[in-house]
Amino acid sequence: MKKSWKMLIRVATGAVRVTVVGALLGSGVFRADAQVEVVKGKHSFGVSGFTGDAAIAGQVTDVLKNDLRLSGYFSLAPVSSAEYVQSGSVRGDHNGIVVECMVMQQATKKVALSKAYQGSAQDLRRVVHKLSDDIVQTLSGQRGIAQTKIAFVWSHNGAKELAVMDYDGYNVHQLTYDRSISVRPRWSPDGRKIVYTSYKNVFPDVLEVDLYTGQRRRLASYPGLNTGAVFSPDGLSIALTLSKDGNPELYTMNAQGSDLRRLTHTRAGESSPTWSPDGQAIAYVSDESGVPQIWQINKDGGSPLRLTVSPSYNTEPDWSHPPANSDMKPMLAVTSRVGGKFQVGVYQSGSGVVTAVAADGADNADPSWAPDGRHLVFTKTQHWRSQLYLLDVVTSEQVQLPVIEGGASEPAWGP
Amino acid sequence: MSRKLLAQTILVGFITAILSTGCHRGGGAGANPSASGSESSVPGIGAGGESGVGARPLVGAEGLPEHGQFPAVLFDYDSARIRPSEESKLEAVAAYLKANPGKLVVEGHCDERGTAEYNRALGERRALAARDELVKLGVDTGRMSTISYGRERPADTGHDETAWAKNRRCEFVVVNQ
Repeated sequence: MKKSWKMLIRVATGAVRVTVVGALLGSGVFRADAQVEVVKGKHSFGVSGFTGDAAIAGQVTDVLKNDLRLSGYFSLAPVSSAEYVQSGSVRGDHNGIVVECMVMQQATKKVALSKAYQGSAQDLRRVVHKLSDDIVQTLSGQRGIAQTKIAFVWSHNGAKELAVMDYDGYNVHQLTYDRSISVRPRWSPDGRKIVYTSYKNVFPDVLEVDLYTGQRRRLASYPGLNTGAVFSPDGLSIALTLSKDGNPELYTMNAQGSDLRRLTHTRAGESSPTWSPDGQAIAYVSDESGVPQIWQINKDGGSPLRLTVSPSYNTEPDWSHPPANSDMKPMLAVTSRVGGKFQVGVYQSGSGVVTAVAADGADNADPSWAPDGRHLVFTKTQHWRSQLYLLDVVTSEQVQLPVIEGGASEPAWGP
Repeated sequence: MSRKLLAQTILVGFITAILSTGCHRGGGAGANPSASGSESSVPGIGAGGESGVGARPLVGAEGLPEHGQFPAVLFDYDSARIRPSEESKLEAVAAYLKANPGKLVVEGHCDERGTAEYNRALGERRALAARDELVKLGVDTGRMSTISYGRERPADTGHDETAWAKNRRCEFVVVNQ
C-alpha cells in the first residue's frame, strides 16, 4: 500500500522532460508552433510506429494509438492514405526512455511537430500521453486530455473506497483504506486535493485528502448529512449539502470549512451542487416541484431558478468548464430517468429540455466533464454491475475503460 | 472483510461517536466540530493504517446495539412521506423511548434505483421525517440522530419490487448509555 502511494505522489509531482529537437530536421523546417486549424471533422492519422527497441516501440505505439483515438480529433488510417503521418524512434536503458516523434502533413510535406520526450521506464505511458496532448494541441488548437486523471468510487470487499487512475483507466491507485463508505469525490481546481463524503466515523462527513502529502482533514461534520462537497472554480469556496437545519439544503463555506452560508430554504431536498464556469452560480438538484429537477441559484443565495423542464426526472448535474480558447461552450450534463432507465443528457438552456447523449439499454449516470469540455466519464450499470465509460459528446462515441474488479461508480474527472 | 464484520465495525465506531462526543449530532446543534481544528490532521493515506481518528477513538465490541428491535418504517418510491400505515410503528418506538433511557439513531435508506447522491439526500429526508414524527409523539429531539445510507445498505439484495419495497425504509437503533 505504501509503495503504491509513493508512486501516486511521484506521478502527481513528477514532470516529463521535453526537449525540442530542432536539429533533427534543421532549423529551417522545425516549427515550434505549427499552423493551428480548428477541427470540425476528424483528421485521418497514420501511425507508422517507432524504430529502436521493439518492446518499447510496441508499447509506445499502442498507447499513442489509444490516446489519439480517445481524443476524438483523429481517425486512425493506413499511412499511405492519411492526412497526417507519424514517424519516430525510441531508445531505452537503465536511465530511462527517450521517444522522438515527428508528425508530417502528407500533402504539403510540412512538419507539424517534431519533439523528443524523456522519462523513466515506468513513466512510459505518461511520456506518450504528453506526446499525444502535443499532437492534439498542434493539429487542433485544442487542449488534450491524455495527461488528466479520474477519481472514482471502487466497490471493494464489501466497502467503498476512493481510487484515482489515468484518464484511460490505467495506473489505478487506491486512495482510501477505511473499509467504510467513501463516496462522491471532487477535485480541487489545482488537482492537488480531493473532497469526498466519508462514513469512516459512521456519520457521513465531508473530508479532504491532499494527494501530495496524504494528509486528510475533516471539513464538515455537522449533525445529519454532510455530503456533495465541490470546489468553486477559484478553489476558495466549497458548495455542499447539509441537513443540520432539519432538511437537506445547499450551503457554501470557505476551503477551510468555515464561514458557512445557507443558500436554499425549502421543504424539499436539495443536493448535488455544481459551479458555473464563472463561479457566480450553482446548479443543483431539488424536488421542490414534486420530482427531482435541476435548479440554479446565485452563489450568494437569492431566488432559485428552475432550469430543466423535461424529462420528468433529472439529477446529478455537472457543469463543464472548457478552456477560454476552446471550440466547446459550457454545458450542463445531467442524469435523466426515461422509461425507468437512466441516461446521460445535456441541458438545452432555451427550451429546458435535456437532450440524451448516452441513452441505450443500460443505466447511464453520474456524468463528469473532462477539462476540455468535450469528453464525459460516466457510470454504466448493466445487470446491476457498474463500470466507467468515456463519451465524446461531439462524435457520440462511447469507450469502456478497463474493467475495475468489484465495480466502479461516481467518477470525477480531474483538472 | 465480510459485510457483517464491516457493519459491526461501523456500529462500534458509531457507539464511540455517541459516547465520545456527547450529543453533538443530536438535535439542531449548529456548530461544526471540524472547524475547531481538533481533527485538522489525521493519519495520511499512505502512512495511516487503521488507527482511527483521534477525537473519536474506537472502543471494544461489547454492547453492540441491535438492528431489528423495531420493525422498519417503509416508504413509497421516491417519497419521504410517512404513510398512515406506518404510524403505529413510530408510536411503538416513541413509547419505548419514553419508558427507557438511551439515544436513538434513525437510519434512512433507499432502494437501488436512482442516483447515489440524490438517494443520500432522500434517505436523510426519510430519517428526518421519522424523527420529526417521533418529536410530535413526545420524544426529545436531542435524544435522536439521523444517518442516511442512501442506497448503500439494502435490507434485501434482490433486484425486484419485493426487495425494493423492503429497502425504502427507516431503521431505528437504540444506543444505551
